[in-house]
Amino acid sequence: MDEAEVVSKLLTFIENKNAVEADFDQMALSIFAYQFEHNLPFKKFCLARGKTPKTVRHWADIPAVPISAFKTLDLTCSSPTSAEATFMTSGTTQGGKRGKSYHPTLAVYNASMRQNFLERFMGNREKLKIGILFPPPVAMPNSSLAHYLELAKQYFGSEGSSHFVRSNGIDYERLFHSLEDAEENGVSYGLLGASFSFVHVLDEMERQGRRFQLPPGSRLLDTGGFKGQSRELELDTFYDALQNAFGVSRANCINMYGMTELSTQFYDNGNAVCPSVKSGPHWIKTRVVDPLTGSSLPKGTTGVLAHTDLAHFNIVTTILTEDAGVEVDEGFMLHGRVSGAEAQGCSMAVDEFLISAAAN
Amino acid sequence: MTTDVEYVGRLHGLDPERIHWEPRQYGGDGEKSLIALTPNLQSADLSIIASKVRLNARNSVKTWPVDRVLTAIDQTVARLLDRSHPVRKKMEHLLPIVTGYDEEMVRIGLTGYLKTFRKPQLQRFITEDFPNPGILDKFQPLVKGGFGRAFGPDLLAHVWAGNVPGLPLWTLIAGLLVKAASVGKVATAEPFFAGWFHDVLAETDPELAKTIALVWWQGGNTELEAGLFREADVALAYGGDTAIAALAAQAPASTRFLAHGHKISFGLIGREALDPSRASSTARKAAYDVVRYDQQGCYSPHVFFVEKGGAISPETFGTYIAQSLASYEEKFPRRPLSLAEASSLVEWRMAEETRLGGKVVEPCNGNWTVSIQLQDRALRPSGLNRTIRIVAVDDLEETPILSKPYKTLIQTAAISATPERLFNLASMLGEVGVTRVTALGDMTSPEAGWHHDGRFNLLDLVRITEIEARAETAAEDLASYAD
Repeated sequence: MDEAEVVSKLLTFIENKNAVEADFDQMALSIFAYQFEHNLPFKKFCLARGKTPKTVRHWADIPAVPISAFKTLDLTCSSPTSAEATFMTSGTTQGGKRGKSYHPTLAVYNASMRQNFLERFMGNREKLKIGILFPPPVAMPNSSLAHYLELAKQYFGSEGSSHFVRSNGIDYERLFHSLEDAEENGVSYGLLGASFSFVHVLDEMERQGRRFQLPPGSRLLDTGGFKGQSRELELDTFYDALQNAFGVSRANCINMYGMTELSTQFYDNGNAVCPSVKSGPHWIKTRVVDPLTGSSLPKGTTGVLAHTDLAHFNIVTTILTEDAGVEVDEGFMLHGRVSGAEAQGCSMAVDEFLISAAAN
Repeated sequence: MTTDVEYVGRLHGLDPERIHWEPRQYGGDGEKSLIALTPNLQSADLSIIASKVRLNARNSVKTWPVDRVLTAIDQTVARLLDRSHPVRKKMEHLLPIVTGYDEEMVRIGLTGYLKTFRKPQLQRFITEDFPNPGILDKFQPLVKGGFGRAFGPDLLAHVWAGNVPGLPLWTLIAGLLVKAASVGKVATAEPFFAGWFHDVLAETDPELAKTIALVWWQGGNTELEAGLFREADVALAYGGDTAIAALAAQAPASTRFLAHGHKISFGLIGREALDPSRASSTARKAAYDVVRYDQQGCYSPHVFFVEKGGAISPETFGTYIAQSLASYEEKFPRRPLSLAEASSLVEWRMAEETRLGGKVVEPCNGNWTVSIQLQDRALRPSGLNRTIRIVAVDDLEETPILSKPYKTLIQTAAISATPERLFNLASMLGEVGVTRVTALGDMTSPEAGWHHDGRFNLLDLVRITEIEARAETAAEDLASYAD
């Protein structure tokens, strides 16, 4: 298969809502063979584990690449220089090294986003007035989240939809004016952005003594959580505050879980109850695994999440995350990050060594 | 399912009925587990406990000859070495549940460790720091003239960390030998061992046991930490750099604060140890050092620098170590890892695998990993939990570690080389910060009387009172028989 063929098959597969497990399996194995052939660092990774297209018989046997490898390896089937977009992680860990995902074309990413977003956030309605609490792609060309939110605005935003974050921060005045306008005219509103941006907005609203009662059909979408931010909120506190501040019930506050290392997002069906259950569309599957062996754990056991995202065709479909989770009916629940282990005894762990060695 | 209940803490001076005890579970659900009852202490409680053990020490051990202390410890350790003793049975049964280490490894480890605290070893321990141990009892003549006597602290505070069973014994015994009262804060990861030692000491010498109190709180409670250090003349703390710095900030200037930080250790294997008749036994010893307590000790190896040019290449030697690790895994399985540990190990393995000239050998179950590095020669930590780096070097004397001062980061180096090279390498290692050179296979069992992190275990605790020769002469003038 060549790239054009993979792209065309994927676009068809994404549209095929009647696809069953066997179709997924077949598609996953053919993309695995494509990546094994064209992505040399991935081929080396597979061979070291004795995995080849001949020995891998089921999608769950595709070896999961730890996301840390995205920082050190150029995982791509096509030349990085001809990529339409390169998405990078924020580089807050590992000495500022950033994980990279090269996209020779965004056609698949965009189709994946569009269909999934329509179903899970829009509730199959066509347009909403959309406000975005995140910088636009021109300000952050390597951010997959900036691109994702821009797509939401382009595909589903009615007139007057806008970004409210600029280089100097959140433009509260314009944001509040836009929300007031929707409130007065009875226009359903979709406010989307990073979880911590919502916290800033909540703080500012409290400071100004403001509250909104957004019209029926309005919804909120937050993503990213609070790790590493100046303030960490309990999920229940956060969604209560959102409901109270915007007049949008917790059932219509959707959390999106996505990663730079994927081309597909997961959503919950609102946060009336936390933690919510996340799930994805038919072209992505998640296993809860033992990170050391990669083997699936029994349902109900906490492990590390491994995702197989067919839409991430140019890099690797199957990644091993650093997120803990548990499989439940209808999807999985997130249990936070698992990184940052400390030594149990008086020996030194890797992270500690890096800090101490730098100080020495 | 069997569930044992154990009290954490030995709170002399407090009424146990008045204490609020909170349960804390060790061991998994459905398997064998253990409930620890931990005391909820206030700063004022610490003052009461400290006053009580200080008083107890003043009325007992401070007036005794050190030989009585040696005998009491010796008899206590003898009981703990007796596998039919109830407390020893409890240790063998419960420590694997608490720490996750394999039962057989704990049993062998306990015996090997405890026997370094019998009377002859304790005598050696004292003599290392006090060539004339009588100085702990009475004024003794000094070489420079006059007389001297060593006084231990009135109260020695200990803050232990980690899950390596038995670690508190080093400083507890050091405290007893210098006749100090002790208040020790046990580690959350293994809070029981010190209490069990206390209990058996109470069987052999009840008065001496009353000079040791044990306490617990969740690490990072600055109020209690400051409260403990205020009471102490000398404080000993274990932990990582961050924890040590936080603890040090709670110690008043009048308290001598001594810390043992986390360390990295490694081995140097010369080509002379890599001939066909020796290489397998060299590999077995090296693997043993890796397996012992899953590399959680400060003396545990992270890297073996292996010299090229022997009959067996560094790469082949790496596969020998892999074979040894595999057979040890059969005998002493690795303890179950937390998700965080497993996940950071995956990250470490990925980094090792992608280094230029790097190759990783491991079984499907991921229970150990050998990373063979033919080009990257830097000192980097292992992923812990039976993961070892084999780094090929042209000459041991050219190992990059010898050219960079690591100061406080490194501790033990095992050397497998000829006697001439042993001394030459040892002096090079000493210059960059190594404080202990030992043989392969012995990295995790330091000798009795070793200088932990290059310090004096007992001397650092005491103050010396001197009677100068001139005072003696002046006194002579005032003697009843003076002319």
